[in-house]
Amino acid sequence: MEKLTDHKRSEIKGRLVGIFGQENVTDKAHDLFPYSYDATECEPHMPDFVVLPETVDQVVAVVKMASEAGVPLVPYISGNNIGGLTIPERGGIIVDFSKRMNRILHVHESHMYAILEPGVTFGQLKKYLDEHHPGLRYSYPFAPPFSGAVGNALLSGMNNMSCAHGSMGDWINGVEVVLYDGTVARVGSCFLSKEFRADNWYSRYPMPDLLGLFVNWQGMTGIVTKCAVQLWPRRPIETAYLGIAYGYETTAEFMRELGRAEIIDDISAVSVEVAKMALGIPTPIKVPEEPDFALLIPVSALTQKHLEAKHEIMQDVLAKVKQKHGNKVFLTGFDTFASLVGEGTRVFYDLPGVITPLVEYSGLTWFGSYAPPEHLGVLFEKATAIFHKYNFPAFVYSKIMKSGHYGIFRPIIRYKKDSEEDRARKAMEEFFDLGVSYGCIPYKTPVWMCNKLKEHIDPNWLALFKKVKGFMDPNGIFNPGRWGI
Amino acid sequence: MELADISRLSRSSQEALKVVLDRCIRCNTCKYAFREFTPTCPSGEHFKFESYWASGRIRLARGLLTRRLEWTEDILHPIFACTACGACGDSCQAPQQDQIVDIIESLREFAVKSVGAPAKQAKLLPAVAKHFNPYGEPHSDNAEIRAKYNLPQTASVVYFIGCTSNYRQRQLRDATLSVLQKLGVNFTVVDERCCGSPLLRTGQIDIVADLMRHNAEVMAATGAKTIITSCSGCYRTMKKDFTKFGVDLHGEVLHSSEYINQKLTPAVLKALQGKATTSVAAKSVTYHDPCHLGHHMGLFEAPRELLRKIPGIELREMPRNRTSSWCCGAGGGVKIGYPEWAVQIAGERVEEARQTGASTIVSTCPFCKTNLSDANAQAGSALDIVDLVELLDRAL
Repeated sequence: MEKLTDHKRSEIKGRLVGIFGQENVTDKAHDLFPYSYDATECEPHMPDFVVLPETVDQVVAVVKMASEAGVPLVPYISGNNIGGLTIPERGGIIVDFSKRMNRILHVHESHMYAILEPGVTFGQLKKYLDEHHPGLRYSYPFAPPFSGAVGNALLSGMNNMSCAHGSMGDWINGVEVVLYDGTVARVGSCFLSKEFRADNWYSRYPMPDLLGLFVNWQGMTGIVTKCAVQLWPRRPIETAYLGIAYGYETTAEFMRELGRAEIIDDISAVSVEVAKMALGIPTPIKVPEEPDFALLIPVSALTQKHLEAKHEIMQDVLAKVKQKHGNKVFLTGFDTFASLVGEGTRVFYDLPGVITPLVEYSGLTWFGSYAPPEHLGVLFEKATAIFHKYNFPAFVYSKIMKSGHYGIFRPIIRYKKDSEEDRARKAMEEFFDLGVSYGCIPYKTPVWMCNKLKEHIDPNWLALFKKVKGFMDPNGIFNPGRWGI
Repeated sequence: MELADISRLSRSSQEALKVVLDRCIRCNTCKYAFREFTPTCPSGEHFKFESYWASGRIRLARGLLTRRLEWTEDILHPIFACTACGACGDSCQAPQQDQIVDIIESLREFAVKSVGAPAKQAKLLPAVAKHFNPYGEPHSDNAEIRAKYNLPQTASVVYFIGCTSNYRQRQLRDATLSVLQKLGVNFTVVDERCCGSPLLRTGQIDIVADLMRHNAEVMAATGAKTIITSCSGCYRTMKKDFTKFGVDLHGEVLHSSEYINQKLTPAVLKALQGKATTSVAAKSVTYHDPCHLGHHMGLFEAPRELLRKIPGIELREMPRNRTSSWCCGAGGGVKIGYPEWAVQIAGERVEEARQTGASTIVSTCPFCKTNLSDANAQAGSALDIVDLVELLDRAL
């Protein structure tokens, strides 16, 4: 977008004030500045306005206005993503949902879903379910409590039930979305009524899955104003195991085998340095005798016998891995581990919470990717070498998703934003090259990674992608510049 | 990258401001009470844009320090429209958690030195400079009080009254004097000046060190090794800020609730009650944590313990208590800078207290008492607003 003239800026501001009210619109530099960058190395860009919507009608009005005026709209919840996704690449209007459009509209107890406005956060949802629907649970990622639940689902984030149930993108039953011309469409089983009803958001199938027009598009095709996410029955027994593992391939194989056993809710592996960070060592160095990885394995069960059966199967998996690799993986109850090693390690289990190692400095970035599980071992090894090369403590984070259909490979760098960003960026480029060379696909992808990714992907996919974008957003108002287009 | 020149700021402010370069990814955890997920930030909840939350202010500080933002009159609003209650620091889980209030206050000092203080807050400085109190009242050297209560020149304890108790909430001062005498404490009062808190909270620090030095000298002259105050703001300032300015108090600083709680053993209580001419009727009360005592200093339990020692008192907690406590709205220069909003913040607290079914809000800060009383009156609420020491004085 060309820089707004003073006249046009004034005209747009007047229209925004008309839509949202004076107190919910700002164009002051100091108000815009905090929205201009995030924790990552992604390039800052100032928005022209920030608005705080409260109703769908206001969103419809701002979309129509933006279409007419050719002004970009950037949806924003808490700006916690690690990918520059709410940095307004081409200026325009930040639509901040977290402040006023953050209601939990409905929880359907028997159909097990919640209809959320876009600004709902994990902490808010957790509190609401605990207080009003204690028999249901949602699932939480390694993200702070004030992160957007809807944004994370729409961007295929992961959670602490991902080994059992996969990506959060799969948990969406339906959305209400405002299209470029102001049309409000409902997608999913909720399409089966002329007007909004709270009781028909139970599935996204079997109709053509138009959710694909919105999931993972980073707000480039429309603005979601309602989202139904699946909830799950809370099991009477929720516990966790803690594992330590020596050897990259051993770690990866244990994760894969345990995933295939279909007995756990989730499995996360982190470089052992990360556990030390949680105990208050900001820049830990692994000593040779230490294990390479720590594993967190949440498990839930209906009865004690159910849990014991899972435990028995887990021991069988462990024995199988030991037979092949030797005695290199050790498991204990998480409570035992935390009491022995340090209560600080609970941050990895007690979610939604703050993973303290992630908030150590002013910068945080990662190469977050979906990965072919069979390559995780070599990815761990080579990523650790990259960390050492760039003098950052190793921080590999990995998961097995949906019983092992895919995995997560995520090397993470915490850094001082004003003095270490160049070094972090160079390391990220190497992580990208490494990951893509083994078939990893970045998610919540920053623009610079998208541009590099284009060098690797099917050109016909890209052409189709651009066609769909052009169809969905003919005026180029929805988060333009994302995916480098 | 060339940073803005902050060499004119106090050393502690320079250090606090530099924290923003290396800390805070803006994870937003400061916005909610941690684990409770309840709102605790009056400023963010009211003004809503990111610049009005702690993490947004850290970004403003970074923007100004790195020269990505320019100083304007406008920018004073997000910098000063904050009670600096410190709830953000209790929620934050990152290494800067104990420095957030310092960063905000240092940013204010940076603002004052760059574009001047906001007009209303600016009135504090000449008032304190001339009268040694922020209310502009004629200075009292407290000789009258010493005479009335027959207090010695030297003593083992100094009661530092604080300006709000000495010039506005005098019943709180008088109750403290009375309780200390009933407990038989060897104490005195001094020719005190403003502790510096209102100036520190609003970034106007030029005369603060002089005030501190004076207070340290007059208190040292009494020979006291214990300094108690019934004002949470004075407590925070003497306990935490004096050292930043290199001023040694030569004594342990205790809040009156802390000190009295230590002294009031069951045996003492029994003996005193035998002499009491009045008593507290059985009542249910709720306790409001003053931010300068709670969020800033972590003193949550002593006032509650003391409350529970008073016969007939039933303590009903508000949902937001201790680290998740909601501010009364008066602190950080908000009462003078944004008086209507200050009362609005207090109104939310009064309503929260009312819903507990308690008949009384008890606090341990004269400034909280003032603002909660203002909101209480505005709401037409029948709640009684008292300080803990007043309640105690009635019981002993």
